Amino acid sequence: MRDPPSGPRLLALARTVLSEELTPLLPPDRQDEARLVAAAMALAEREAAAGDAHFATILSELAAFYQEGPSPSRCAGPSLSLHCGERAGVRGDPADLLRRFAADLRCGAFAAARERAARALLWRLTLARLRLEHPEFLAANGFA
Amino acid sequence: MAATPSPRSEASALARFLTEASGAKAVEVGPLTPLAGGAMRHNWRFDAQFSDGALAGVQRLVLRSPGPARFAESLAPGTEFAVLRAAFVAGVRVPEPLFAGADEAICGRPFLVMRHIAGIAAPARITAMNALPAVAEQLGRELARLHRIRPPRRDLAALPAYHDPRSRIAALRAALDRRREPRPVLEWGIRWLETNLPGPIAPVLCHRDFRTGNYLLEGAALAAILDWEFAGWGDPYEDIGWFCCKAWRFARLDREAGGIADRKSLYRGYESEAGRRIDPQRVHFWEILANLRWAVIALQQSDRYMLAGERNLDLALTGRRATESELEILMLIDPAGAPRDA
Repeated sequence: MRDPPSGPRLLALARTVLSEELTPLLPPDRQDEARLVAAAMALAEREAAAGDAHFATILSELAAFYQEGPSPSRCAGPSLSLHCGERAGVRGDPADLLRRFAADLRCGAFAAARERAARALLWRLTLARLRLEHPEFLAANGFA
Repeated sequence: MAATPSPRSEASALARFLTEASGAKAVEVGPLTPLAGGAMRHNWRFDAQFSDGALAGVQRLVLRSPGPARFAESLAPGTEFAVLRAAFVAGVRVPEPLFAGADEAICGRPFLVMRHIAGIAAPARITAMNALPAVAEQLGRELARLHRIRPPRRDLAALPAYHDPRSRIAALRAALDRRREPRPVLEWGIRWLETNLPGPIAPVLCHRDFRTGNYLLEGAALAAILDWEFAGWGDPYEDIGWFCCKAWRFARLDREAGGIADRKSLYRGYESEAGRRIDPQRVHFWEILANLRWAVIALQQSDRYMLAGERNLDLALTGRRATESELEILMLIDPAGAPRDA
């Protein structure tokens, strides 16, 4: 149990002080660096506020994708740390699951409906990341 | 972040070099002022008074030298000088290169000296202007002029051999393999490239970083194309795809030619100078490859902080921009797949 204000709220306040009060006091050749600091704080603030729930949902969908569908055939493509078609990662480390997905995509392991489902996961993963990393870019590309 | 360092030489070492290189009896060098920009190269502006010879009088010059960070694809200054000279002779609008040197007393590294050209290069300022279709068209013409330079060339013998798209893709894969975190979208994009390779094409001299931010505008006119450190033999469409890559549109994502104009303006200029039509499918391939290349570079920039311990917030944040390129890769390859409720 932590005392308020929360970490994200403190970051938001600190960023406002930095952007509105301190940055204008800096010499012009250092103001871009202050803006970078503010951008880093904004990113950290969004990540702290959002937590991992959304990514956990997408990862569970990815796990379901592997559990429900037929296993892709192994291929002789170049290796990541996991090889295409390996079963590891389905119930283990999320990074292993993503590694396996990456390896399968690398060697074109999915076809037809499975390939469409894999693409849908890529979209969801990318949009979720950008909502935290750069929501303005997402909006500028027509995504709410 | 550290400010651009001054050359540790005294101006006298540079004056000595310029005297010998130009054949003048005497050269006086004024103070060196660092110029903004250039992540891999450092540039200093200075005035030099030549007593006589071909450069007699006051010349506004730039000293250009590699920064401390090394990047495998970056040319040595002597090779960049040869490229700049070849482009200048071919009529491409570039700062005239004057001398290349290796005297470490001047700035600690090999360097080149070229004429200074006034203008702005800041992408945020350029893309905030009204649309610049005439500049895009001019850039297209300059690019076509550059692409007339073809191998073999004795003066460009130091350039690496031509790498076809397949080997470029292999290099991207190798870069991803050196990283711990998987990037499924990049793997999928690379797979698409591999299965959609364009047919063979005669290699030409490519700029390889031809984009907004690497040319100078004087008012609303093109003054010069800069930053030739990544030039090499390649597919001419690589430069077109890189110029149109969304990462280089800055404030104006809707202006597909470098954030300054529509694509047609760039193509019109290129086609009029080259005397041949641009193949949009081939641009599409190279634009996807451009996004992959930029995503990998962004991740490598972040690794300079994460793995090499380089304390630089800009580099650290750049790695988080790789996802922007991943979105663009999805939009280019799978536009119909975008979730409707996103």
